[in-house]
Amino acid sequence: MSEKDSILTVEVMDSDGSTFTLHEVCERGECHAEFVIKLVNYGIISPVEPSAEARQWLFDVAALARLHKARRLQRDLKMNLPGLAMSLELLDEVQEMRREVARLNHRLQQLLD
Amino acid sequence: MDFKDYYAVLGVSESASPEEIKKSYRKLARKYHPDVSKEDDAGEKFKELGEAYEVLKDPEKRTEYDQLRKYGPQADGSFQPPPGWQSESGFGGGGYTDADSRQFSDFFEQMFGGGQAGGRHAGGGFRQNVRMRGEDVLARLPLFLEEVFNGCEKQVSFAVHEADDQGRIVARQKTLKVKIPAGMREGQHLRLKGQGSPGIGGGEPGDLLIEVELAPHPMFSVEGRDVVLTVPVTPWEAALGATIMVPTVGSKVNVKVPKGTSSGRKLRLKGKGLPGKHPGDQIVVLQIVIPEQHSAEAEKLYEQLAEAEKKFDPRSKLHL
Repeated sequence: MSEKDSILTVEVMDSDGSTFTLHEVCERGECHAEFVIKLVNYGIISPVEPSAEARQWLFDVAALARLHKARRLQRDLKMNLPGLAMSLELLDEVQEMRREVARLNHRLQQLLD
Repeated sequence: MDFKDYYAVLGVSESASPEEIKKSYRKLARKYHPDVSKEDDAGEKFKELGEAYEVLKDPEKRTEYDQLRKYGPQADGSFQPPPGWQSESGFGGGGYTDADSRQFSDFFEQMFGGGQAGGRHAGGGFRQNVRMRGEDVLARLPLFLEEVFNGCEKQVSFAVHEADDQGRIVARQKTLKVKIPAGMREGQHLRLKGQGSPGIGGGEPGDLLIEVELAPHPMFSVEGRDVVLTVPVTPWEAALGATIMVPTVGSKVNVKVPKGTSSGRKLRLKGKGLPGKHPGDQIVVLQIVIPEQHSAEAEKLYEQLAEAEKKFDPRSKLHL
């Protein structure tokens, strides 16, 4: 299934800077604007300027990655929007806690050494 | 080609009812979803689950699979379908579900891959003229603290989906060398324009989104932009104050320990955390340690100290 790996040196285009319009995130997420608007209304993702009208919304790379994640969860686990919102929040919390536990364990280890 | 035991993958018996199969699939899918699980092989497991469920939930495919299963794998675990084997259920009958069937195994492809008019074809029929943007691909990239600190060049491998000569969608492994800028934080994303899956019908290619992960460091831990380090000091350094040498990421600095320092006191080294427009700090947590064994002379000095500091009660807040 894999051809020979192609190795190419590429420069990173942008880390924080770039933004995408509502139309662009819909195309990338293969979803309707309505779905993205609902995600915003449920607080699952937010545009850079949340006060603006939907047509003027701009999303950063993190929001785009989160939209992809929401789409995967919705597709694979058949989740509805409130379920998605809650799962993503809990997943964030779990991830933050895992990091915190790792940090604390690390510090504890240093204290015990 | 390896034989896939779909019943084992879903953790059900051969005689499991459709309800049991569905229940087990749903439970395991939640557990191994790559966006949920922290297991490294969650992606693989999730794919296997999808494939197993794709077959076992469909009564026709399941019957065919059961026949194949009786025919069984060879002694070395490899598998060849019986001569003249052709799946009936692959054609027509509903095709694939919306599971991501593009990454199913060779075994699946060989057994049930006949009727891929819907799921795995990009060309063919009305789709021929469709212009579609390629999908964005997400890759996770674990980095060492030093790499995050200094920036680095890393190889990133990921799978993209593209159409082959016959218009079938296939997965292809791609490897890129990527320059990672200094000062990335855990969970941050990098975007590589046009490095995702190629577009269809002249559509634009997708992007590669790289999520940065931080591998644990034996000495330093990282909190946001700050780097935290626990530094041991002697009781006399803590009591009298001292200038001590402290490592930073990739260097070292002299730090003044203030007189009368207790264990757990934090010192902030401005700008010694992760670099960037707003660089972080290094937080030094002081920890008082004493030698495992004191000399007789030191013990005598401690006795004198105890006498001189008799009034000090470190447990005054414990209501003893």
